[in-house]
Amino acid sequence: MRLILIDRVTEARRNFYPLALSRPIWELRCGITSLEEKLQAKVTPNETACFVPDYLAETYRTRTTNAVNDVAALAGDDLLVVDARLRADTLDIAPTGPSQVGLDEQGQVLYARIAQTDLGRLSGNDIDAFLESAKSTLPKIECKLPTWKYTWDLILANPDQLTVDFATAGHSGIEGNVEQPNAIRGGAQDVYVAPGVTIHPMVVIDAENGPVYIDEGAEIHPFTRIEGPCYIGKDSILLGAKCREGNSIGPVCRIGGELEESIIQGHSNKYHDGFIGHSYVGEWVNLGALTTNSDLKNDYSAVSVMLDGKHAISTGSTKVGSLIGDHTKTSIGTLFNTGSYVGAMTIIMATGKPLPKSIPSFIWYIEGMMTKGFGRRKLYETAGTALGRRGCQWTDAEQTMWDAVFETTAPVRNEAIKKSRRAMMTK
Amino acid sequence: MATVAERVKAVTARVLKVSLEEIRPEQSFAEDLGAESVQSIELVAMFEEEFGIEMDEDAALSVETVGAAVEFIAKVCKEQGVKVEE
Repeated sequence: MRLILIDRVTEARRNFYPLALSRPIWELRCGITSLEEKLQAKVTPNETACFVPDYLAETYRTRTTNAVNDVAALAGDDLLVVDARLRADTLDIAPTGPSQVGLDEQGQVLYARIAQTDLGRLSGNDIDAFLESAKSTLPKIECKLPTWKYTWDLILANPDQLTVDFATAGHSGIEGNVEQPNAIRGGAQDVYVAPGVTIHPMVVIDAENGPVYIDEGAEIHPFTRIEGPCYIGKDSILLGAKCREGNSIGPVCRIGGELEESIIQGHSNKYHDGFIGHSYVGEWVNLGALTTNSDLKNDYSAVSVMLDGKHAISTGSTKVGSLIGDHTKTSIGTLFNTGSYVGAMTIIMATGKPLPKSIPSFIWYIEGMMTKGFGRRKLYETAGTALGRRGCQWTDAEQTMWDAVFETTAPVRNEAIKKSRRAMMTK
Repeated sequence: MATVAERVKAVTARVLKVSLEEIRPEQSFAEDLGAESVQSIELVAMFEEEFGIEMDEDAALSVETVGAAVEFIAKVCKEQGVKVEE
């Protein structure tokens, strides 16, 4: 059986911006692993193929061994086509069996189980046409399978998912180097220090309220306190961090200051003091010293987020911090409001006041103004420098992908710039 | 209608908070009028608003003097079909 992961260009996809602007939804993290890894573990396919928005295909191919946007993958085997938003933990479909198409309330395909013997009845030169054909040809059911609807769903589920993933991983014990004196609270079975990890003296690992998984090559500097449940990704460094409960830190991050119930995709820096809580931070982000977000409103009401810069969406939760896209950089003293949306490739030069709740991608926020700043070429130069510092390379494919993101995000950005200029001219 | 030069000077005076009378074509925004890099961005934004044009950031930010800005903006206005008083 072949698993076909689909991440189509739909309105629902926008709910995962700014993180999904530059990656398929299944690359997002929750707990220790990505959504893809969870789906793979649940379905256990012989092989996997993926369909992503066209503009992501070339860069994504460099990060996966799966076939990407290859219609040949839609033949020659039993297929289980799965929308990236489906939650693996509640995915209650037998991977093989009679053909069946599961639709959501809007008639969108959530999954399609297609027996190889039925493939000859289907047609289509691309995944959309193929799924339309499946919808019109095969038995359909309306299903209410739970899905991830917004990025903050992942943040809010992260603490519990960490505990589940720790148990699934099945590791515990100290395989790395733990320099003494150190303190480990809670049960030894709830801590895993992988080979190649270095834990300096004067570190506290508190697994009393949840497990702590420190992955290969990570380095934990003195005076760091790590509260479980928590995952520290490969080759990440914690620098005297107050790493509160519920954090997933991806690979090659530098983390200092206070971090609580947040997900950091990877390759991002929050080196200095400052509080980030209930947030999702993308890749190649640099948060300047004292960058802080609010994750709780003064009146304890549900936090709302403006994904399109206009319409506030209630998260239903009293605790949501910031959503920060890839390659965004913040200056010292940046203050993010509760439920902030900060696009990708955005530069924040803060003035000490809390920022607007929605800052589009490719914006240079300077002196309280949304501007085009020094433009996209300068942002690409900086991105290339950031990648180079970690032994990675900025490629033509990356630039083409980001050019597409620039175009996609232009309407919201241009409107924000205009609004900001009008405000400035009336000062 | 004011000329491009007059409008460029007016915007420059307003953004950089200098007296209109002090501004001369040969003056550099940075060295003579004290524009910091952040103010250069503000100037470009305000020129775009004033003339209703879109300027390439790299090209616009490489303009050094008031006179060069007048020429550059007049050229962009022509390219984008915006009528101005030369």
